[in-house]
Amino acid sequence: MTTYTVYKEQLPGLFEKWSQQHALHVPAKLREGFYDLVPWKKGLEIAWDFDVAYNSPKRFLLPPRETLITFNLKTCEAAPVFEAPPQILFGVHPYDVKAINQLDQLLESGAPDQNYVRRRAATVIMAFEPLTVSPAAFWATVGAATAAHGYDLYWTKIGPAAFTVEVGSVRGEELLAMGGPLLLSTAGDKEGARRAKARILFKARRSGLRYNWEETPRLLAKCWDSPLWRRYSQMCLACGSCNLVCPTCYCFDIREEADDLLEEGIRYREWDGCMLESFAKVAGNHNFRPKAQDRYRHRYFRKGKYIYDKIGELGCVGCGRCVRACTAGIANPLKVFNELWEETVHEH
Amino acid sequence: MAKPRIAFFDFAGCEGDQLQIANLEERLLDILGHVEVVSFREVATGHSDDYDVAFIEGSITRPEDEIRLKEIRKNAKVLVALGACAAIGGINCLKNFLAENVYREEVYGNSARWFSTYAARPLKSVVTVDAEIPGCPIDPAEFARITKELLLGRTPWIPDFPVCVECKQAGNVCRYEMGRMCLGIITRAGCKAACVSQGAHCWGCRGLVPGANLDAARIVMDRPGTSRKAIQDLLRFFLGDTGAAL
Repeated sequence: MTTYTVYKEQLPGLFEKWSQQHALHVPAKLREGFYDLVPWKKGLEIAWDFDVAYNSPKRFLLPPRETLITFNLKTCEAAPVFEAPPQILFGVHPYDVKAINQLDQLLESGAPDQNYVRRRAATVIMAFEPLTVSPAAFWATVGAATAAHGYDLYWTKIGPAAFTVEVGSVRGEELLAMGGPLLLSTAGDKEGARRAKARILFKARRSGLRYNWEETPRLLAKCWDSPLWRRYSQMCLACGSCNLVCPTCYCFDIREEADDLLEEGIRYREWDGCMLESFAKVAGNHNFRPKAQDRYRHRYFRKGKYIYDKIGELGCVGCGRCVRACTAGIANPLKVFNELWEETVHEH
Repeated sequence: MAKPRIAFFDFAGCEGDQLQIANLEERLLDILGHVEVVSFREVATGHSDDYDVAFIEGSITRPEDEIRLKEIRKNAKVLVALGACAAIGGINCLKNFLAENVYREEVYGNSARWFSTYAARPLKSVVTVDAEIPGCPIDPAEFARITKELLLGRTPWIPDFPVCVECKQAGNVCRYEMGRMCLGIITRAGCKAACVSQGAHCWGCRGLVPGANLDAARIVMDRPGTSRKAIQDLLRFFLGDTGAAL
């Protein structure tokens, strides 16, 4: 794989060029302790040491609200709506790249989600090796410390003003070349990148699962009747925050609205979440997960078992966003999985 | 098919919800093109008791309001509560936490005995309400959507999840993560998290979300740096008629 070395002083020029044809998003500080990917503009200070982007990158690929079709109430004709503006996400941590790879697999399989697929194709992912670890994060222990693919360029900060950039796609390399002649990384630069990765991995391993993450589906299979579900879910506000901030949750609800003349209409989708009380409500007002306990358990089975059964990896990348977002303090895959492990330790 | 006849009524309230409808401006003409407005004091003169849909603003604060409301219920095929006062009692219910002689004296002074008044309540405490457009004030876009749903013969839908959902959709930083208090965790969404998106917090004007976990909410709100009095005041502000207010 080709690796180039890029210096900080080259970035404003590159950003300027990229932003002419793409919506460019870069990490920036929102307020003390809060960072997010925000639209780049000249002079914006990049928060290289951001621990986690407050909002997950899924919103760029599966927006909170998206029109799917337009229809005519009189003629009953319908037409699909596809919006896929070219965009660059600069500064996506590997666990978030991993989450996007997971969305790719799940939304491309079966009947491919055309709106997602098109947005994804128009999106350039520039991964960035983290420099700090969010206190709530545990990605190093759920197999999400590295992303083997899914990025166009992979940036690693190897010094105060230097980066190595691993090429993941032709598209990525072309974008990088817009800044002028490219400089191949020296062996020393590559070694610097290796060390940077090892350093952050060491920090990230400080908290995490007490067992090998691949055991999670087997662990959960034993824990359907655990008292833990009830204990935690008593505090559940059913607000869906854990779902909505999750980079791998992709459920949505579909609604329609007519225009004011009652002639045309749109069908759109909006983020939904399995922790919301009405999520599993069906015709006749039947709810097949009516209790907070049922919903709470479902989410952990989804993250720890159902997704694994489909694609062989956890549905949780350990970003820690749900841990922070849960006002009731009960959304915490790390704590839940570790406690279930302790509970069943005599059986291992 | 004859156009449905609609009428607007108001009880104790500021008529701000009808003002929100008037604020739809050009859109209002398109929407009202499908109906015949027989009574809309805020916008036009004239009145008739022959109507299909009644939009009612304001809460019930006097015994004689009940008689009038029941009369409207009898005339209307569909009765829609408009705004926080009508749907959940709203801020009128603040007086319910005072002794009757105290609020009567406060409002009417020496003339208190000339006026009848009793504990404020939402419409649903007196009659069956078919649909609600909650909020203080209402979101004109939601009024438009629900009116269209009624016109198309659909069951009007309002969000049945908390404001947190719309806050996450908007990408706001959670007030609780900023060490502040917010009622979004128990309040029905549909406002697009308007107050939080503007830097404030949720006051609960759209009422409790169905199935709100009040026990958990009290524990969540009871944090270092927050006085119980402040929590109580916030819960009483709009939610005085619900089980949330203590």
